[in-house]
Amino acid sequence: MANLPGATGSTNAVSTTSAQVRPTGFHHYLTLLKKDLTQEFRTKEMLTSMGIYSLLVLIVFGAALAQTASSFDILQMGGGLLWVLIVFTSLLGLNRSFSHEKENGCLEGVLLIPLDRSVIFLAKASSNLLFLLAVEIMVIPLFYFFFLTTTTPAETFWMIVFPLLVGTIGVAGIGTLLSTITINTRGKDVMLAVLFIPLIYPLLYACVSATTAVIVGGEWTMDVYLPALALAGGYDVIMILLSWVLYDFVISA
Amino acid sequence: MSNTKKAVKLPEAGGIFDKIAPIALLTGALLATLGFILTFTIASLVPGAAVNGVELIGDQMVSNKLLLSQNIFYFHVPVAIASMLALGFTAYYGIRFLMTKEARFDTCAKVVTEVALVFIICTMASGELWTRFEWGVWWAWEPRLTTYLILMLLVIGYFILRNAIDDPERRASYAAVFGIITFVDVPICFMITRMIPSSVHPVVFRTDSGMPPDRLVLFLICFFGMLLIAFALYRLRFRQVRLAERVAALKEQLDD
Repeated sequence: MANLPGATGSTNAVSTTSAQVRPTGFHHYLTLLKKDLTQEFRTKEMLTSMGIYSLLVLIVFGAALAQTASSFDILQMGGGLLWVLIVFTSLLGLNRSFSHEKENGCLEGVLLIPLDRSVIFLAKASSNLLFLLAVEIMVIPLFYFFFLTTTTPAETFWMIVFPLLVGTIGVAGIGTLLSTITINTRGKDVMLAVLFIPLIYPLLYACVSATTAVIVGGEWTMDVYLPALALAGGYDVIMILLSWVLYDFVISA
Repeated sequence: MSNTKKAVKLPEAGGIFDKIAPIALLTGALLATLGFILTFTIASLVPGAAVNGVELIGDQMVSNKLLLSQNIFYFHVPVAIASMLALGFTAYYGIRFLMTKEARFDTCAKVVTEVALVFIICTMASGELWTRFEWGVWWAWEPRLTTYLILMLLVIGYFILRNAIDDPERRASYAAVFGIITFVDVPICFMITRMIPSSVHPVVFRTDSGMPPDRLVLFLICFFGMLLIAFALYRLRFRQVRLAERVAALKEQLDD
């Protein structure tokens, strides 16, 4: 790959002041990631919209469960509800993540840089992952506050961190590929949901079972938790590798 | 179809395959039907089938009703396997397209996915009959059922995606990528009964299945018949699509 010296294509050119050093793939990655983060810090568009949306979903849950609150076990349902929240919020975020690239013609600009296209995938997936994790950090205490304070979750509750992390990595990876595809289609918002939800289903299933296992606790927690986590991790690895390989074809089509 | 030396050999309509396609369709239909009928007539019943009323066989309550209705297996499983094989070809043609950027492979991928969708719907329909009849419910969130349902949704999503893109080359690339990703679900669906044991979907392909030999032969007849049908449907539909493409190209030439 013939890199132009110093052509990192951004105002935040990385590290070197001299134009002699060829930027490596890692430099490209950092620059692209920094571009997304800077944009987010200036506009706060993604975080506010996703944060408010997830709060609204929590309120809808409240209404949906209002009539049942005394007679069912919220611990059994908590994991599932949490993942419903994450899936819908990430759908919203993934839709937005490429739309402003498209609107301002940024994507063409990025594609002009002579870099390995899969670096774009990694950078974009990382920024999506960071935004999703930030939203989760905001929303999980709220979820706990609204739904789980009436009961006592098991002591293993803190272990929901791992399924959340593994699940969010998969969602960000698969979602980045799919949102790149759907950005160029008619009816792109619906399109993303149509492709995204079936595709993450195995991951979702595994993550829900792992999350529920540690929220409910009990004797066989680990017997459910570890295989489910391994399943989710395996699916992540396969999907992200595939997306990484195929991304070049998608973005240059 | 796999020699990629210099010039890529493109699949084309006509030739020997299209000549035998109608015969293959007829033979396949005959074999599948014959095998299915024979399971009711000449085949030895599954061990312990001659029960009156209900009896306990190998930890399972078994009745004559169950033993006869389980013959849907000889339709359901071949159709399901054929649909999975067809999706394998979707991924194969997707890879070929991405390698060569030849529109022909995109046509192949589209046609083979159409065949897969037909077979998937047949699988779902026959499975649904079985679910209702034997378990008494229309739907159960059971691993095999669920993974197969999302397989169906993915294939439907594949066609929705195709319809939502106008530029042919972009459509072909995206469809190829999505077809390859979709294929990831096929091994998951196939292996799921091994990973998460469920009482209702047995592990079919194993060495100690205890299927009587004559039943096994009948199963293979049904299976082979179904594969012939899938192949013939693919060839017939491919020929039709290809000829339409050629007519369109000719029209364009005439206009110029």
